[in-house]
Amino acid sequence: MNVRSILKGGAAAAVLALGLGSSPAFADNIVMWVNAALANGPDAPLYEELKAFQAATGHTVEVQAVPPIEMEQKLFVALSGGAGPDVMTLDIAWVAGLADAGLLADITQKAGPIASQYQPGPYSSGLFEQKQYALPLYTNNVALLVNDRMLADAGIQKAPATWQEFHDAAVAMTNKEKQTYGVSLGGNRMGAFQLYSFIWQNGGDIIDAEGKSHVADPASVEAVDFLAKLYTESKAMPDSVLTAGNWDEVHAPFVQERAGMVVTGDWALAAVAKANPDLKFSVHPLPAGKQAATVIGGFDLAIKANTSVPEASFELVKWLSGERSIALMRKYNRLSALKKAATPEAIAALPPNMQPFMQQAAAGRARPVVAAWTQMHTDVFANVWDSVIRGKPAKEAMTEADAAIKNLLEK
Amino acid sequence: MSARTARPSGLKPTWSSIFETGLGARAYPYLMVLPAVVIVLGVVVYPVLSGIMTAFYDVTLRSLNSGDMDFVGLRNFERVFADPNFVRALQNTVVWVVLNVVAQLGLGLALALLLHRAMPGIGFFRSGILVPWVVPSVVAVLTWRWMYDPSVGIVNELLVKLGVIDAYHPWLGDTATSLYAVTVESIWKGTPFVMLLLLAALQLVPKSILEAASMDGASGWKKLWYVILPQIRVSFAIAAVLTFILTVNNFNAIWLMTEGGPLNSSEILFTLAYKYGFKRFDLGLASAVATMLFVGLVVATTVYLKLIQAREED
Amino acid sequence: MTAAIFSHDSRSSAAIGAAAHNRSKALRKILTYAALWIAFVWAVFPFYWMIATSLRAKDEIFQRPPSLVPHTVTIQNYIDLLVGAQFWRFAMNSLLLTASVTLVSVLISVTAGYAMARHRFKGSVVLPLFMLYGQMFPPVLLLIPFYAQLRLLGWLDSLWGLIPVYLSYMLPLCVWLMRGFFSQVPHSLEDAARMDGCTRWQAFWKVILPMAKPGIVAVATWVMIHSWNEFLYASTFILSEKNRTLPLGLSGLIGQYTTDWGVLMAGGVITALPILLVFFFLQKHLVSGVGGGAVKG
Repeated sequence: MNVRSILKGGAAAAVLALGLGSSPAFADNIVMWVNAALANGPDAPLYEELKAFQAATGHTVEVQAVPPIEMEQKLFVALSGGAGPDVMTLDIAWVAGLADAGLLADITQKAGPIASQYQPGPYSSGLFEQKQYALPLYTNNVALLVNDRMLADAGIQKAPATWQEFHDAAVAMTNKEKQTYGVSLGGNRMGAFQLYSFIWQNGGDIIDAEGKSHVADPASVEAVDFLAKLYTESKAMPDSVLTAGNWDEVHAPFVQERAGMVVTGDWALAAVAKANPDLKFSVHPLPAGKQAATVIGGFDLAIKANTSVPEASFELVKWLSGERSIALMRKYNRLSALKKAATPEAIAALPPNMQPFMQQAAAGRARPVVAAWTQMHTDVFANVWDSVIRGKPAKEAMTEADAAIKNLLEK
Repeated sequence: MSARTARPSGLKPTWSSIFETGLGARAYPYLMVLPAVVIVLGVVVYPVLSGIMTAFYDVTLRSLNSGDMDFVGLRNFERVFADPNFVRALQNTVVWVVLNVVAQLGLGLALALLLHRAMPGIGFFRSGILVPWVVPSVVAVLTWRWMYDPSVGIVNELLVKLGVIDAYHPWLGDTATSLYAVTVESIWKGTPFVMLLLLAALQLVPKSILEAASMDGASGWKKLWYVILPQIRVSFAIAAVLTFILTVNNFNAIWLMTEGGPLNSSEILFTLAYKYGFKRFDLGLASAVATMLFVGLVVATTVYLKLIQAREED
Repeated sequence: MTAAIFSHDSRSSAAIGAAAHNRSKALRKILTYAALWIAFVWAVFPFYWMIATSLRAKDEIFQRPPSLVPHTVTIQNYIDLLVGAQFWRFAMNSLLLTASVTLVSVLISVTAGYAMARHRFKGSVVLPLFMLYGQMFPPVLLLIPFYAQLRLLGWLDSLWGLIPVYLSYMLPLCVWLMRGFFSQVPHSLEDAARMDGCTRWQAFWKVILPMAKPGIVAVATWVMIHSWNEFLYASTFILSEKNRTLPLGLSGLIGQYTTDWGVLMAGGVITALPILLVFFFLQKHLVSGVGGGAVKG
């Protein structure tokens, strides 16, 4: 091979590159972990989107799907071991813990200019101790799914809108002979997740802005008591409330038309439709207590603290959480966390079953952003729920929880 | 050894001849055990020692990252003892171990005696009964979890049909039954291995001894107790030790069925240590529990082996 | 009780005794077979239930009450599992890992077990006991040091990193079983080979090793079953999807939002099948092999 042919080859390559348009000088490879729900199968919409990203920026993205149940643990183990992804999707409740351990990159500077495009609630989920560590990918909250036929059979005309109506409807749909129940909830962590909405609805709180625990306040205790008694006294929940450890098990009685209602988020719509396509159900805002409230969930995008490709990683985060997220998340039946996604016109464009979720978004409340939140949730509140549905007085359980939380806050 | 190393006549020289005499001969056995010893030192002894060390330090992910771990003496142990979950897990471990070991040894012996006879079709039964041992434990545990399902579980359906219970019961969700429900799975899974060990031992019992016993008019329980059991006592002791170790270290069954719940009703020391270590990321605390577990295992096994030895010498 | 009845029988008059004896023999045969069938059904039923669930259509899986035999049989769950999903990759990972661990542990335990059984040297008495205790370390105690070690070596999330980890809980018992096995092979064979002019190594390689085949098969089966099935270490140290082994892939099918029990059980069948086949193939050697090792231990 002589110099000329090398030059020729080089020229050909250059022409080829120019002809194709856009290969910037530094094309990086970004490793990204996503919760498995977004990358289920080779034709998940995410891959299409990443192709577009690659075409526009030249960076390649290597996607790893991680089952959400083990994702938080895997991230802790991997990131602290120096391994792990450059970019990751995070349940909004995990941000504080990972940031506190110094595992996430501080993106306060870079995120500043684009902060105003996000809805304030989801945006603040990436904020820990005055620093921004994550940007919202999608947002959700919980609403009430009602089996229309069972409600009508129980002689009730309209879906419950208050706690009293919720209670009455649950009791009316419960039939010991036919083994039908009013409402399906989960056990342990799944049940604990449901407590928060009801605590806020009753005017109670978990941890306030000053970092003070309100778990033992009468309003908080009363909310827990209300939910627990639906099972312990009214027997209006199926026994799966004792064991259901994932959403699928929570939905199962509703799907099988053994439970007339279920409190769940937009992820249920596709799952229910898939498991029982004939089921006729409708979606309603959570029945309001003293005030309307629902717990905000969803996933954020964050970057590893000492990634070797910080610029490319941020480009990816910006891309996926930006304007295009509206169309992308629609394909998953999820809600973008952009302000543009919450305008009346945008809501009207959503499928009917998605609209109630967006309509009550204003009543959404974020869970406390404290470093030990995961432990509070999985140890303290999961235990509260497991013990009250097994007959422990709510006041006693919540008083103990209050002490445990104060202890964790001090650390 | 010296009798057998007498130099044979007419040795063909090969590379392996260097092990025949002098230094080579002396080094030969050491060279053969060396790889095993090196690996065991590297992957068992060193990690165990450093694991025990960890129990005396304050180790979290953050301190692992920064590299400065504080020596805290016995504080990790104090914290463990102060945790009510530890007491609960300790009690559960005792129940779990006793039930598993007794049931697996009893059933394993009974099965081995049944399968020992030469009968038509015995190979079929042997293979079938060994299936639980071979099925991957994750598969087995998930299948049992599915069978225990409170709304469509076949266990519930069969028990209702047999008239044992009136209505479906959430076996894994009831704090009173969760530990025992997992125990049933663990007995199902563990018994075939005990059976295998004892069956193998039974096959080595000389036929003449059994026949002589039958001629003397000994039958049934007497033959079992006075003739068969003494013949297989060594295997039985080994089966007991192995079952004990495997039960204490059985993580999959509990973790994948209940994660130690509900309300710690099926928590054993192993799962508790795992939670401390890889859910709460308090590695010092986890090591403290694991160290206690290890010491308990060694003490119990040593005492048991010593007792057996003492009886042998009588 | 039983003993008394039977001994009473044998003392009765000859004619009645023979008839009674025949009858009790037939009865015992029936009882034995009944007991065998009960044990068989008990052992195999969960496996049957797994297969039955994996062959059911999606709407039949949650039918109440569950029926013992599927109404309609479909292989849709298997198609869903194998098309698109990464199950093949998990299977390859499992295969690679199992083969490597089996090879290494058999090679090492054969020489070590032989030396301990045949030669007297410093530590030849203590080492086997040391190996038995080596089997006793609770994996949870090793988990943390392993984590620190793998992290230091950069072997987290790597299949190769799992090999030394698996050896820690395979090798001690393998050595111990092999030693027991070699002590059963008669000395005379080796001596004869040596007389014929073999070196020690040749005698070991050409004569003793073939004799010890059942023992090797037993140890290899034991290692294969346990590394194929291992879950705790793999689930802690394997982080990314592409490095998952089959048991991990299986537990990963339990989703947060949907758990498809039909597909999950199909995965169970496929995970269990290779190891069951290996087992049935090697079964004959297994009983004598394990027996030899354990009895002489």
